Amino acid sequence: MSLNRALQTPWRAVTVFLLPALTIYVALTAYPVARTLWNSFHKVLPKREEFVGLANYAELVQDEIFWRAVKNTLIWSCTSPLFEVSIALVLSLALYAKVPGARFFRIAWFTPVLMSYIVVGIIWVWIYNYDWGAANQMLRAVGLESWVMPWLGKPTTALPALIFITTWMWTGFNMVVLLAALHSLPSEVIEAAELDNCGWWSKTIFVILPMIRATVLNLIVLSFVGKMKIFDLVWITTKGGPLWSTETVSTYVYKRAFEWSTFDLGYPSAVASVWFVIVLGSVLALTWAFHQREKLEY
Amino acid sequence: MLNISARIRAALAALGLAMLAMPCAQAQEITVWSHWAAEAVKRGYVEEAAKRFEASRPGVKVKITWYEKTALYAALRTALRAGQAPDVFYAEPDQTDYIDNGFLADLSSGLNWGNIEPWAKTAWTVGRGTYGFPLEASTVELYYNRKLLEELGVKLPPNGQLEQGAFLDLVKKAKARGITPMSQGVGDRPFPGAYVTHEVLLKKLGTKEYDDLLRGKLSWNDKRVVEALQFVKQLVDAGAFPASFTSLKLGESHTYFHTNPGALMFQMGSWYTSRAFNPTDKGGQPAGFPLGIMQMPAMTGGACNQCKTMAVGGSFVVNAASPRKEVAIALLNSMATPEMGNKWLENVLVQTGIKTDASKVSGPHADYFKQLARANEGNTYYFGMPIQVMQGKPKEVFTQVINNAFPAGSIGIDDVVKQMNAAK
Repeated sequence: MSLNRALQTPWRAVTVFLLPALTIYVALTAYPVARTLWNSFHKVLPKREEFVGLANYAELVQDEIFWRAVKNTLIWSCTSPLFEVSIALVLSLALYAKVPGARFFRIAWFTPVLMSYIVVGIIWVWIYNYDWGAANQMLRAVGLESWVMPWLGKPTTALPALIFITTWMWTGFNMVVLLAALHSLPSEVIEAAELDNCGWWSKTIFVILPMIRATVLNLIVLSFVGKMKIFDLVWITTKGGPLWSTETVSTYVYKRAFEWSTFDLGYPSAVASVWFVIVLGSVLALTWAFHQREKLEY
Repeated sequence: MLNISARIRAALAALGLAMLAMPCAQAQEITVWSHWAAEAVKRGYVEEAAKRFEASRPGVKVKITWYEKTALYAALRTALRAGQAPDVFYAEPDQTDYIDNGFLADLSSGLNWGNIEPWAKTAWTVGRGTYGFPLEASTVELYYNRKLLEELGVKLPPNGQLEQGAFLDLVKKAKARGITPMSQGVGDRPFPGAYVTHEVLLKKLGTKEYDDLLRGKLSWNDKRVVEALQFVKQLVDAGAFPASFTSLKLGESHTYFHTNPGALMFQMGSWYTSRAFNPTDKGGQPAGFPLGIMQMPAMTGGACNQCKTMAVGGSFVVNAASPRKEVAIALLNSMATPEMGNKWLENVLVQTGIKTDASKVSGPHADYFKQLARANEGNTYYFGMPIQVMQGKPKEVFTQVINNAFPAGSIGIDDVVKQMNAAK
């Protein structure tokens, strides 16, 4: 049957167009998700699988390291978007206002996001190095010797130090997206505000921000989801230490699956399943909370 | 004409025979996956052993794929599950999950155990089977800079072992002179920070009860355990370790000890030499570095002050599903000879589970091996590092607490006891 004839009936056309995408989706997304859920109710060893019911989930409830990982991941996911988006907003407004050297700053601030987490991790391990890292050298240079410390080696500073890295890395991306949103604003609305003697502060708060609200909220959700899944940076820099202070759910799943000298994939699957539900629920909740009930018209 | 067709038939028959023989020749390819991609000397040793084996067995080819350890372990996990693992692969004795899941061939009757040290065999013996060829072994040694010790005016007793009080004084004396007492770092490894604590615990408890402690049969509340921890805490509080302890990487801690800024002592596996005896531009110690080996301090009331940890490291195992097990075991046997053992010592400069004679080791580092042999005279060994003995959660907690947070001074003794007991 030729393609033209096949496309003559609607359902055939639908099938032809959907099949490739559906096949990829089922093979690479739906099946792994379903299989992970199925695994979570089993002890999955290489040559045998044994149904254990809710045993993996019961163990999870008692697992202190898991809850510590949940806490760290939530702290990261909730604080990072605020830092990234708010700093990005200030930077994008500065560029929008065409500060001197705007073109240079746009490139400079955007560059970190072009690097992989691996490269970023290695760079920041050097920067945070106690003896010769730039961070401590600067503190020594300005006479703040007492502030010098192994930033990634202390349980109290390791997580904030990592949050600082992701903020540095992703602010540029947020800035570029916000800048695009600012440039797409209708100039007549801004001009009308200026004609009404609206100052820059009022113009930003009462005119610009409401109009780019949707972009801001999308960036917050994107950043939130990204941090809920964070793995690479932690693995390169701290591997979850010291004292699990930077353990995230993703690093813990990896450790349980590949580093705890057991081939069992059941328990890590239970962790991954619970986390999948939490991430999904959080995104739905955020979307609902940020849903704009009254559309702005301009 | 007839002659020509006969020749053609003969040629075709020969070709057919050759094609039949080809699968047999291919079947004799032994695949090996090994760690040590970045360790040229160990790699050279294994490659030479493979070449010798190929020469002694015409038709057999050894194909070695080199990995770094983490990548190797990840690849093996997938390959073993999928039945695609090589005939021979690198493993360490703590990987008991390979044995539990039936992935390793039992070598108890195939390998030439007469050429292997009994303690090394024990490291790979689980139940009734013995599963690995223990190529690499090491003891936990306390290296020191002889010149700095002399400058501090401290003289070691003939057995090289200070009492715990004298050792603490030495640490304080070094610190007061602006010398870092012990180079150490846990920036990229889960074990070096724990050396001091586990060696002190071993001396205090003796091998039996130390083993009970590691296996969760003895409480960390035990009075002797707490006393040992108190001594380690005194060392930590006296500033025994560098301020960069938590971020210092293994390679950096070597350089810290012998080159810049220099430390008085350095507790490390005896594989210290595999880095330190490299040329200086590759991280080796300076020429003429006054390297000494002392004992960890004798504990007051210690049950076994001559005890020391010995561990089997890099080993080779045979895939239980390999259709070429006999040839694979023969390959391991070709390495398990005293001659190859001495070659390992001379070239790799690290101990081995193969029976060797250190006195026969020649070359520029022969004196070092004599010194190492003296440092191990009369010692009683506990076989296995804690992270080899422990598995799962206890291992994870040990790594985070004993290897990192406790020697870093981030937590106190009560926390250590609580966390270790909770992980049992």
